[in-house]
Amino acid sequence: MIKNSQRPSPDPSQSWIVKLGRSLENLRGRENQLSLVLSLVIGALVGLVVVAFILLTGRLAARMYPPGGSGWRRILVPVLGSLSTGYLLWRYFPSARGSGIPQTKFALFINDGRIQFRTVFGKFFCCSASLASGIALGREGPSVQVGAGLASVVARNLGLDAKQVRSLVPAGCAAALAAAFNTPIAAVLFSLEEIMGDLHAAVLGSVVLSAATSWMVLHLVLGDEPLFHVAGYQLVNPAEFGVYAVLGVVGGLGSVVFVKLLLGLRSWFMRLPKSSVWFQPVAGGLTVGLIGYFVPEVMGVGYNYVEKVLNGDIVVKLVVLFAVVKIVATAVCYASGNAGGIFGPALFIGAMMGASVGGVAHAWFPQYTAGPGAYALVGMGTAFAGIVRTPLTSVIMIFEITRDYTIIVPLMISNLIAFFISQKLQEEPIYEALASQEGVHLPNAHASSQSAQMQVRQAMRSGPQILSPDLPVATALPMTNGSLDAWPLVGEEGLWGMIRMSDLEHAVRDGASGKKLADIFNNIPGQTSRSGHSTAEELPHVHLDHSLGLALERMGSSGLNVLPVVSRANVRQLLGIVVLDDILKTYGVARRGGDMEPTD
Amino acid sequence: MAKPLATPSFLGTFGLIFLAVAALFAADTFLARMERTESAVEAARLFDQGRVLMQRGNNTAAIERIQDALSIERTNRYYQQALAQAQLAAGKTADAESALSGLLQSDPTDALANLIMGRVQEKLSRFPEAISYFHRAIYGKWSQNAAQNSLQARFELIDLLAQRDSKEDLLAELLPVQDQVPRDLKTRMRMGHLFLRAGSPARAADIFRGIIQEIPTNGEAYAGLGESQFAESNYRVAARNFETALRLAPDDQSIRKRRDLCNQLLALDPTIRGLSPLERLNRSRKLVELTLHDTSQCADPTPPPETRALLDQAAKALKTRVSPASEGEVTEFDLDIAEQLWQARAKVCKSAAPPDSPLALVMGTLAH
Repeated sequence: MIKNSQRPSPDPSQSWIVKLGRSLENLRGRENQLSLVLSLVIGALVGLVVVAFILLTGRLAARMYPPGGSGWRRILVPVLGSLSTGYLLWRYFPSARGSGIPQTKFALFINDGRIQFRTVFGKFFCCSASLASGIALGREGPSVQVGAGLASVVARNLGLDAKQVRSLVPAGCAAALAAAFNTPIAAVLFSLEEIMGDLHAAVLGSVVLSAATSWMVLHLVLGDEPLFHVAGYQLVNPAEFGVYAVLGVVGGLGSVVFVKLLLGLRSWFMRLPKSSVWFQPVAGGLTVGLIGYFVPEVMGVGYNYVEKVLNGDIVVKLVVLFAVVKIVATAVCYASGNAGGIFGPALFIGAMMGASVGGVAHAWFPQYTAGPGAYALVGMGTAFAGIVRTPLTSVIMIFEITRDYTIIVPLMISNLIAFFISQKLQEEPIYEALASQEGVHLPNAHASSQSAQMQVRQAMRSGPQILSPDLPVATALPMTNGSLDAWPLVGEEGLWGMIRMSDLEHAVRDGASGKKLADIFNNIPGQTSRSGHSTAEELPHVHLDHSLGLALERMGSSGLNVLPVVSRANVRQLLGIVVLDDILKTYGVARRGGDMEPTD
Repeated sequence: MAKPLATPSFLGTFGLIFLAVAALFAADTFLARMERTESAVEAARLFDQGRVLMQRGNNTAAIERIQDALSIERTNRYYQQALAQAQLAAGKTADAESALSGLLQSDPTDALANLIMGRVQEKLSRFPEAISYFHRAIYGKWSQNAAQNSLQARFELIDLLAQRDSKEDLLAELLPVQDQVPRDLKTRMRMGHLFLRAGSPARAADIFRGIIQEIPTNGEAYAGLGESQFAESNYRVAARNFETALRLAPDDQSIRKRRDLCNQLLALDPTIRGLSPLERLNRSRKLVELTLHDTSQCADPTPPPETRALLDQAAKALKTRVSPASEGEVTEFDLDIAEQLWQARAKVCKSAAPPDSPLALVMGTLAH
């Protein structure tokens, strides 16, 4: 029996846990400290997951299509791999398709930083299986989505608000890329340049911290090994700058061909019946398999062949072939909906293009040019700058990948040339174009700069009267009460466009009041109800975060004084309308009898 | 009343993250170890293929395989050394030199790398550098069988020096190893011949005598002993040894030639003990005749006046009649003229006399 005077001694472990719990809870109110701690935690977590992803993919690939394996195996494995992952992606993880970069940007800018754990899980395993079966895609883009997803999951599980979640997503991206490429500085730059679209983003501190932590984790597990070991190269003669400029042109044109082919094929696959979505990836698997039967180098990421080229160990004829087949294989694999990114293939294609140019130059002017390896090195950056459109990141990335500083000036020249050619011939960057094909309008740098100005949300009318395409004109006309010049036409699949009052009135005058609005709309030149057409020219619209100035510009170019306000996540989802008069009122200008004057 | 939504516990979430990090770290470590093991096995497989190809003389394919192995295990010095060897064998000396430079930069005491680099330099005809690398190989660090490998490296250097006819350097390398070399017949024979090349016939003779003592029927050892004696100008003993050697190996034409040379020398040399004054005179006359003929043949038709005078003097001497009382005096005079002519020959003739011709050998003996 215990005497009353004898008090039980406190459990030391309990007090330790309680103290730790209190300390952690105290972080809730200290945003900066919490961000610091979470950057470290996310960096470590993402680093470990990406290392596991790389190792798992590598080990599986070594078993699935070992070097020297039979040709039939090289056909069967990618076909079966794409079939199984295609089904899994369609049935369970639809958000885990493709590269992961557009999806990450979508989550960051449109979805309050929300990425489901299911997507992270699906991306990890589907990509591992897909890449291990030889699909000609890369592992870095998926790593970025996995990293961003983990950051999102951690932040949301801690009950952080949307702003805090959004601020941690770039940290996850940087951590993932730092571990995937072993390039911490380029990872930071990529997060800011591509993901955030702003090199001066306020999240710089957490992005740097997270990338550094992830990089340390990578070194702890895998040691200090650069992605590629390259013999030291240097400029042999100043005249070589000319050859590097030619490489920039070739790299730029090659990048445009790759991007246009990929986007064209993607658009074609998207037009196929929806019931075939789960089976479409097999087209990629079969393409890789058939090419891989004759050219095994096309399979998987192919970094070992990149290293051979960087060291000048592959002949020119072969590198030209490798570049061509990789462009085709990657474009088909990606467009058909396999899981995997385009960073790795961009490096592969660039290295092969560079070695081709370098090989020819060295054969013609051996005294004045370095070997093909030096050009392969620069070519990697050139293709990266041309395809991904991040010139600064690509320069730093190549430097970090190879740890060779001597080639940096030629690299900068080639990169910029490739970047400008790519920008000129393919105006929309690949990730924005891919998102656009899905009906998602990602904000670009221009949109970001407008965010500080007066925005459409301030003048928007929500819940406007909408018209169904099935309504006859005679029924629709009384619903409009004549107060606006155009009305949103919304069908089952969402917004079709704006139908003008004048068109309706014209139909009544022509005795076509019994006609359906759909017929009237489709007869207007330039109008179409097909999905997939979603540019501002095809479907005049604005988003909530667009500036009122842009809304006025679009009203002017479309000839409408009413524009639909649509979701960035789905351009066919109507959120409201914005009317010219309302914009003017927001600016403090009233319209009296057709004249516009400033209000008091 | 609705219960408010509970804010997630930081402790619980961080605890879960910590567990995930620990589990991931364990998984990563396991996967990394598995990768290292599998990579090492794959690299070893490729390397073995390369080594087999190298043994078959298919060095280009061997280089490819070893490079593949190296791309998996970049830091494996053994593979790097083998790659350099294959590159050297394939004639890619620049590649081999480049590969070895990297190896030696990281460890200048790497004996095998130094040895291969020595071979590369030898192939590039950079002999001082080659000798330097061979020395570093001899005194460098071997991963295994240090004494044996070091000795082998020294023998490669010795072979180079013998080939270059660097007698002093060769002797300097032979002396430290004469007690270390294996006692097998082949090595002892090799050492004997090397001492001969290094200009140490006495040491060579000791070795050959040792072999003859053990194997009295070894003709090669007798020939070696004959060469040793020959080098010491003991032509009579040399001739005897060559004779014995020829008896043991009657088909060996090289021994027969050496024996004949000895006999020619013995028939020409006027300094041999026991010759009668007349025989000495005849041999001295023969020497004057041979040197006069040889010099007349190789000199310009209009030689310098002093040479012309010597030639005339020699011709005149050959015609002089000798009384028995002046045989000794004339012999010395003839030998003096022969020596002067031989010295003049060196100045007026563009081509040197064959060093192993009986005349040259006898004149060499006289000069000493």
